Amino acid sequence: MNVTAVASESQAGRIWTRFRQHRLALAGGLVVALLLASALFAPLLAPQDPTLLDTALRFRPPFADWALPLGTDELGRDTLSRLLYGGRVSLTVGLVAMVTTVVTGAVIGIAAGFLGGLVDNLLMRFVDTMLCFPQVFLLLVVAAFVPPTLLSISLVIGLTSWMEVSRIVRAEILHLKEQDFVAAARALGASRARIMFRELLPNAAAPILVAATLKVASAVLMESYISYLGYGVQPPLASWGNMLTNAQGYFDTVPWLAILPGAAITLTVMGFNFLGDGLRDALDPRLRMDP
Amino acid sequence: MIGFIAWRLLQAIPLLIGVSLIAFGLMHLAPGGPLAVYTLNPSIQAQDIERVKIIFGLDQPIYVQYLKWASGIFSGNWGYTFFGGRPVLGVILERLPATMLLMGSALSVAIVLGLSIGVLGAVKRYSVFDVLATSGALFALSFPTFWFGLMAIFVFAIQLRWLPSGGMWELGEEGNIISLLQHLVLPTLVLALVITATWSRYSRSAFLEVMQQDYMRTARAKGLPPAARLMRHAFPNAAKPLIALLGVELPFLFSGALVTETIFGWPGMGRLFVDALNMKEYPILMGMMMFTAIFVIIGNLLADLAIAVIDPRVRLR
Amino acid sequence: MTIRIPRRGVLAGSATLLAAPAVWGQSINRDRIILAMTQEPVQFNPLLYVNAGTENVPEACMFDALWDVNEKGDFIPNLAAQVPSRQNGGISADGLTWTVNLKRDVKWSDGQPFTAKDVEFTYQTIMNSNVAVRSRSGFDLIKAFRVKDDHTVEMELSRPFVPFLWAWQNMHIVPQHILGREQNIQTAAFNSQPIGTGPYLLRSRTAGSHMVYERNPNYHRGPAKVRQFIHKFVPDQMAAYGQARTGEVDYFALGGVPPDRWTESRAFPDRDFLVYPTPNVQFIYYNCGKPQFADPRVRKALTMATQMQKSIDDIYFGTWPRTLSYLQPTHWAYNRDLRDYTNDAAGAERLLDEAGWRRGPDGIRAKDGVQLKFTMSTTAGNTARQGCQALFQQNWKAIGVEMEIRNMPASVVWGEYTTQSRFDTLLVAWDPTVGLDPDYTARCHSKMIPVKHRQGSNYVQYENAEVDRLLELGVTQTEQADRITTYKQIQAILHEEVPFAAQGGSVQGHLKRKQLQGPTPNQYVTDITWNVQDWHWA
Repeated sequence: MNVTAVASESQAGRIWTRFRQHRLALAGGLVVALLLASALFAPLLAPQDPTLLDTALRFRPPFADWALPLGTDELGRDTLSRLLYGGRVSLTVGLVAMVTTVVTGAVIGIAAGFLGGLVDNLLMRFVDTMLCFPQVFLLLVVAAFVPPTLLSISLVIGLTSWMEVSRIVRAEILHLKEQDFVAAARALGASRARIMFRELLPNAAAPILVAATLKVASAVLMESYISYLGYGVQPPLASWGNMLTNAQGYFDTVPWLAILPGAAITLTVMGFNFLGDGLRDALDPRLRMDP
Repeated sequence: MIGFIAWRLLQAIPLLIGVSLIAFGLMHLAPGGPLAVYTLNPSIQAQDIERVKIIFGLDQPIYVQYLKWASGIFSGNWGYTFFGGRPVLGVILERLPATMLLMGSALSVAIVLGLSIGVLGAVKRYSVFDVLATSGALFALSFPTFWFGLMAIFVFAIQLRWLPSGGMWELGEEGNIISLLQHLVLPTLVLALVITATWSRYSRSAFLEVMQQDYMRTARAKGLPPAARLMRHAFPNAAKPLIALLGVELPFLFSGALVTETIFGWPGMGRLFVDALNMKEYPILMGMMMFTAIFVIIGNLLADLAIAVIDPRVRLR
Repeated sequence: MTIRIPRRGVLAGSATLLAAPAVWGQSINRDRIILAMTQEPVQFNPLLYVNAGTENVPEACMFDALWDVNEKGDFIPNLAAQVPSRQNGGISADGLTWTVNLKRDVKWSDGQPFTAKDVEFTYQTIMNSNVAVRSRSGFDLIKAFRVKDDHTVEMELSRPFVPFLWAWQNMHIVPQHILGREQNIQTAAFNSQPIGTGPYLLRSRTAGSHMVYERNPNYHRGPAKVRQFIHKFVPDQMAAYGQARTGEVDYFALGGVPPDRWTESRAFPDRDFLVYPTPNVQFIYYNCGKPQFADPRVRKALTMATQMQKSIDDIYFGTWPRTLSYLQPTHWAYNRDLRDYTNDAAGAERLLDEAGWRRGPDGIRAKDGVQLKFTMSTTAGNTARQGCQALFQQNWKAIGVEMEIRNMPASVVWGEYTTQSRFDTLLVAWDPTVGLDPDYTARCHSKMIPVKHRQGSNYVQYENAEVDRLLELGVTQTEQADRITTYKQIQAILHEEVPFAAQGGSVQGHLKRKQLQGPTPNQYVTDITWNVQDWHWA
């Protein structure tokens, strides 16, 4: 018991050392932490109710007025408050979609990798089939039919992007399946489910964690795509995607309305991408895209 | 070789059946039904909608509708649009050239740029250029395509006035190559950005891996100059994963083209898809899903064939 | 990176500029007219479903109806020699028999003569249950259709129906000698290569970009004045607006200049800004079948609390006219005596108190266990409507009413959710159902509730015996003065009982070159090219 604890401790230490060397990943982690905090504390940080409209105050430029630090939009709503609350929505979509992706991908990947044979064949053909469709096409078709709530949009994004995760997990399981501890567990009479979820899953955690981080980034991007095309999160909820859509009509006269949410999306996606990249390097040098 | 092709074609059949089931299923599970758009027309009444349902065969059992549609797909009759009764395949094909042009030009730009950046990064590993290129690629991957497109319009079309903001030709200038090229620049740049980033990352790691192989050391020991080593030994070996990437990235390219075409009013398939979605043109939507999927399957098949040609060992698998 | 482009290219680039200060570089080409719209027509058979607005253009260019409606609301003959009336003997004394004399010497664009057979075939196709025609309203009243000779048809109606003129105004005649041979009209090649009698012939079509028409030299009302007519599609509204400013297009019609640019558009020296009324009026729809809305006092109180004028001023930048009924305020039958009672929160609270809806501990009004809480739906993604919803939500919150915005994709919200009256409230823009006749039977007659009677469009489930009676009377009155009286009464009742609260009449701002003559706003049609044969350069 003690031995494993020490071993994992030193392993965690090694991972942390490797991660710390990756400066961009650290920066990404910091950005992500700040964004999560600002989303969490949006009600405290926001100067105003993000849905409060006052058309007498519309199109205020940023930095002109301390009460409205980032100006106002076409209905006179405070841009800073909307960005903060919009971040909540976008990050929620990103995280919920990520969980959906990872759970679906992991279950299918483990089942295929561990059970093998016909199950593996069928599941992987299903994955191949899903991968034939451009994701935005699938996403838009489903989004166009489903009443757009926060949850439904997150689920739709998650359910159209789990395929890569399932492939990664399956490959990892195929590799792990041959190892001694699985044979040991089997010899001890552990059930298949137990082996899959108690023995194999934790050992495949590293690639899943990396994929999960990167999936948050792509889910935030996807939310902005479908919002841009009008099928995303619906007002009065502000999301960065629908803020951009609204801003489009005032693009030449009031460009900051488009620049701010766009920059917020880019920053978030970048934060998660750098974090994911760093995690990949730190957790498992084998997986490095970049040897 | 022929056996390999036949085997791969055979594998494509269940894939196509799966794709058709998903495309068909999505459209028919949709609430509101395909005729919901008719209610937007104020003079249509409930009894008219019932009548139209029968005309389009939407009252038949779902499996009959599927079998009819699917057998049509495989025999070249992709059905007719709800509005206008035009053959679906024709409607899609008339948009194909514009999309192919945009995707082709973006892909060429991206491959040339991405490959150069990647190779340079691999050769000068950990140099300032390499670090900038690697982080720049990740930065580019974080842009929402449409936002980047809007910004490009704002800067190049509105502020600097160098380039047109949308469309494919100037009216009355159809066939004028100069006009076409001018209209092509911005959409190509926008679509190519993300692909370039992906390509530079992948080609960098592909080349790094190749350069650590024994034959590269041997080549160097033989005294071959760096350029020759790169061209004669590194390229052919690094090409395999990159060709595979080409196949895998196809769906992604379609997604990007859809967004880009919407921003720039490019008259291609992506816009057709968005229009069809707004009109609830189910036959076109199903047809587009099928078409892109078939395209992707063929693309992957070709990529595999190319790899097999480069490396005979692959065929044995 | 600098991109060097030749001088021509600089012009091309600036042609699509949005914020360009007067770059009026493009000169007029008097040989053609370029009309820009944001949507693209996909089918050109006038009998099939038409995407109103954009598909009216090919229809107007290539086809003719028996008669048209001009901007004053008067019918003017087109393929008919004259518009039937009691005076000219076209309508029998009992209003049941209609005789139409057709023009002679009209030719289809393939050279075949136009005859009564074509009109008969058009009617038969409309009634053919195998054809997905866009609408049969009006035509289903025809009991017997007779071809008297090559240039005369006679129709017998099952009951007198004055708006019958509107049915034929909106129905373009198709050639029997071509479509009569088709097995399936839905998929006929004709739908993309039509043969018509209209002022223009389709020369070429570039999918996703534009359509080119060439004038019909044999047009029966005289050849059009300009040789070429180009219908161009620019999906992005701002880009289309930019092209109209720079002169890359001569006339930008649908979807119109964005409301926040109207002031700027009015000031352009060599452009005309046209305010174009559409037949649509935007409403709040209250579902009278829901317990919250059963009492007309509640519906009126809710309407009183809304800041309707403010919603128009702030969200539509004051461009829409406020209307108090289902008609545009400029319509001949509009009731000018109605008084606007909105923007009166205090009055609304009094009325709700009086009706027994009192504030509960949570601040929300309730009566008999029903809370005054409901949802409002419209098409997801319509930013202007979302702005209105946000304002109404704020207005109602102030009087203790909770509204939740629940927008959905078009196919969901306008599907059974609407037609089977499942909604609480809707924000919706609709036109009267029979052309621009003030008849409103389909939308508020008690026998027209689809969820109860499987017919009609009375989605609010409104029932009022007096309104029923007046609606039935109105369609039999032939004198316009009588009809005005009837429809004013209907509007007055609806204004008090509010099954739907009118917000404003939808209008569009169109931008054209000053020298382009002919385009005339006509609120009685959805077709902006209704008089395209008269368009010309000054």
